[in-house]
Amino acid sequence: MNNKLKRGLRVSAAAIAAITAVTALTGCAKETTPTPTAESITIYSGRSEDLIAPLLEAFTEETGIEIEVRYAGSAELAAQILEEGSNVQADVFFSQDAGALGALTEAGVLKTLDSEITDLVDAKYRAADNTWVGVSGRGRVLSHNPELIDEADLPASVFDLADPAWKGKIGIAPSNASFQSFVTAMRVLKGEAATTEWLAAMKENAVIFEKNGQILEAVEAGEITAGLINHYYWFEHATEIGEENMKSKMAWFESGDVGNLVNVAGVGVLSDNAAAVTFAKWLLGETAQKFFVEKTSEYSLTGIPAQAWLPALDEIASPNIDLSALAPLAETLELIRNAGLTD
Amino acid sequence: MAVVAVFASVAPLVYLGVRLAEFGIDKVLTQTLRSRSFELLGNSVLLTLAVAVAAITIGSFQAWLTVRTSIRGRSFFAILAALPLAMPSYVSAYAFAALVPGFKGFWAAWLVLTIGTAPYVYLAVSAALVRSDAATEEVARSLGLGRWRVFKNVTWPAIRPAAISGAMLSALYTLSDFGAVSILSFDTFTRAIYNAYRSSFDRSAAASLAAILVVITVILLVAEPWLRGKIVPTDSRVRKTSLIHLGWFAPIAGTVAVVWAAVGILLPTISLIRWNLIGLSKADAGELGRALVNSISYALAGGLVAAIFGIAISVLVVRFRSKTTLMIDRTIWLTHAVPGIVVALSLVFISNRLLPQLYQTSALVIIAYLILFLPNAVAAMQTPISQAPRALDEVAASLGATRLQTLRRVVIPIAGPGILAGAALVALSVLKELPATLMLRETGVETLATRLWNATSVSSFAAAAPYALILVLVAGIPAWLLNRQVRQSMFSQVDLDRRLERE
Repeated sequence: MNNKLKRGLRVSAAAIAAITAVTALTGCAKETTPTPTAESITIYSGRSEDLIAPLLEAFTEETGIEIEVRYAGSAELAAQILEEGSNVQADVFFSQDAGALGALTEAGVLKTLDSEITDLVDAKYRAADNTWVGVSGRGRVLSHNPELIDEADLPASVFDLADPAWKGKIGIAPSNASFQSFVTAMRVLKGEAATTEWLAAMKENAVIFEKNGQILEAVEAGEITAGLINHYYWFEHATEIGEENMKSKMAWFESGDVGNLVNVAGVGVLSDNAAAVTFAKWLLGETAQKFFVEKTSEYSLTGIPAQAWLPALDEIASPNIDLSALAPLAETLELIRNAGLTD
Repeated sequence: MAVVAVFASVAPLVYLGVRLAEFGIDKVLTQTLRSRSFELLGNSVLLTLAVAVAAITIGSFQAWLTVRTSIRGRSFFAILAALPLAMPSYVSAYAFAALVPGFKGFWAAWLVLTIGTAPYVYLAVSAALVRSDAATEEVARSLGLGRWRVFKNVTWPAIRPAAISGAMLSALYTLSDFGAVSILSFDTFTRAIYNAYRSSFDRSAAASLAAILVVITVILLVAEPWLRGKIVPTDSRVRKTSLIHLGWFAPIAGTVAVVWAAVGILLPTISLIRWNLIGLSKADAGELGRALVNSISYALAGGLVAAIFGIAISVLVVRFRSKTTLMIDRTIWLTHAVPGIVVALSLVFISNRLLPQLYQTSALVIIAYLILFLPNAVAAMQTPISQAPRALDEVAASLGATRLQTLRRVVIPIAGPGILAGAALVALSVLKELPATLMLRETGVETLATRLWNATSVSSFAAAAPYALILVLVAGIPAWLLNRQVRQSMFSQVDLDRRLERE
């Protein structure tokens, strides 16, 4: 009797587990449930939810277009879109950097954008064939710890970091997309020989990190004197620990130095859904551009002034380069790899 | 069913094949035969061996301490030994790195991965120790052998198969790990695969590297039976034996166990709490709740499905032993060292071409979990299922029971604890899994792991901490359950023998 009871209990326990699992799964708690009647778009976002979710909500509020969004790394999403083949789920790809968009352009999966959208930004911040458009700018900066280096001793050019005096003092993230775009810019502007030489010097001098954020933490902790990062990491970190607790400062190189490269986050449209184009255009409108300036501390590409603690976009003496020229990364990666900085 | 499982398991191989074929053999060779590849291969192999050896040493020591000795608080030590399983390796890596400046490189990766995977060995060896006959050791001791020689000549041969299969899980985990090695800046093969996707969007270069991981796995799989040695036949009846009194050695052994637990569990936890205190960002309670529900649903469903397939494969291998069934058993291991992102991309590729309805549904996520974690389930289930006496099958058959009835009413009840342990192990792994979940989940569904990833990617460590802590707590449940099952089987075995004698 007792055994029978036990077995019965066991079976019902298993059944309950199965039923809960299945019901819970079918009704997996989703963030948004768009009504099928309303207009809606699916966005693959390489930009992170914490930063972007409020912006997307504002879009739905203003336009009535519902959004389904999938967050992951820009590169992973690009790979995913390419593997989806003819069954692409996304209407829009919102990328953290121009490189991932360039990869999709190369594969021919992005639709050409109308000139009423692309004309909103300077030609250097969009694809040459108008398949993607930049929506916000991010600058490369030299993050440094003032306790370890005087402002007067800061290098004038990113090439000065090749000096043996910098051995073990400078942090870089060679597997990071923004570093790679910067090296591509160097290659395009200064030639392969100069770039190879600089990378070889970095192999000697630099401390290697996986992410920009880790470089900044190491600068803050005084483990390294300085590091090459994007400007908004300083802002993210300050938001997390409080501005008054920040030790590091940002600096720019001399006018036109390739170390001052300004890159963009941008969008490309993948489907014929008209709402997707509406979204792309909306990102260049006032609400979104203000949001990028105020909330993520990036640069507006349509002329809204940057935050007070940042130099204005046209004041950064960034090198003169067409961002879509940065897309063919393969040669750059080969150089970085041959220098022994990445796998 | 086993066939379905095999098809699922080789899906990533098919995908790799397609990618490599598209790429062309010349380019594959130039991609893979670079000196850098060999350097990375060396790094991966070195790390894998170092972690496996350390996991065997520490896991076996903990198992012996908690099963065979009379040390005070051994149940407590047992829980401590299993608990690191609940901590995702990327979380403990981040936690250590935040706490100890300059924590990076080979030894950092070694420590974090050993902490994370020693429990595989501990659980397997505990189960083996519970089953093996301590009387043999007593006889050896009474014949005048010293403690070390008893261990070397009697105990080790008995636990060796379990230790090796636990170490196998640990080794394959290390090979496929990306999170910990990337945070700790140690260049391995898997990191190169991720970087190939990330930086060059080059799916074929990544595929050629992943193919090499499969080759290494094959080498390990071929080596495993040889490393395991012969399975020492044990009298299936376990007598209650007296426990070893450690004497002067007790404080030392206890200290070692406590220090290890403090390093592996306490330090990362302190670090997580510190994040929460320092940071200004906040986690949203509603989001936390939804993520928790989703994580638990995936874990339950993953555990359940893996248990069903695990039983099918184990029964097939144990009851119908043949070349084919052994092949099936080995096949499911083939892709166990393939990184999650490759498994996920292969399912994106295949489902979009064959079954587009399945794409971005929870069903595909569960299939991914099955591919990733079925070997863990089978590893836990096979021995318990093999212990269900065959004679009972025959008795059941002679009484007119069908095979399915026999399975349900004889094999499953007897092997119950082992099956539950397998399901718990999978549930635990599902809770911690990140890359496949991120890529395959239904759009809009977030789990604890994806939320954690999201928060850390914008340096909101304070917002990340509650997710990490809850993840560790929830994963602690299957970890604890697993441990209890393993330790209790000692008593249920005795129970079973008594029941058999009565019948």
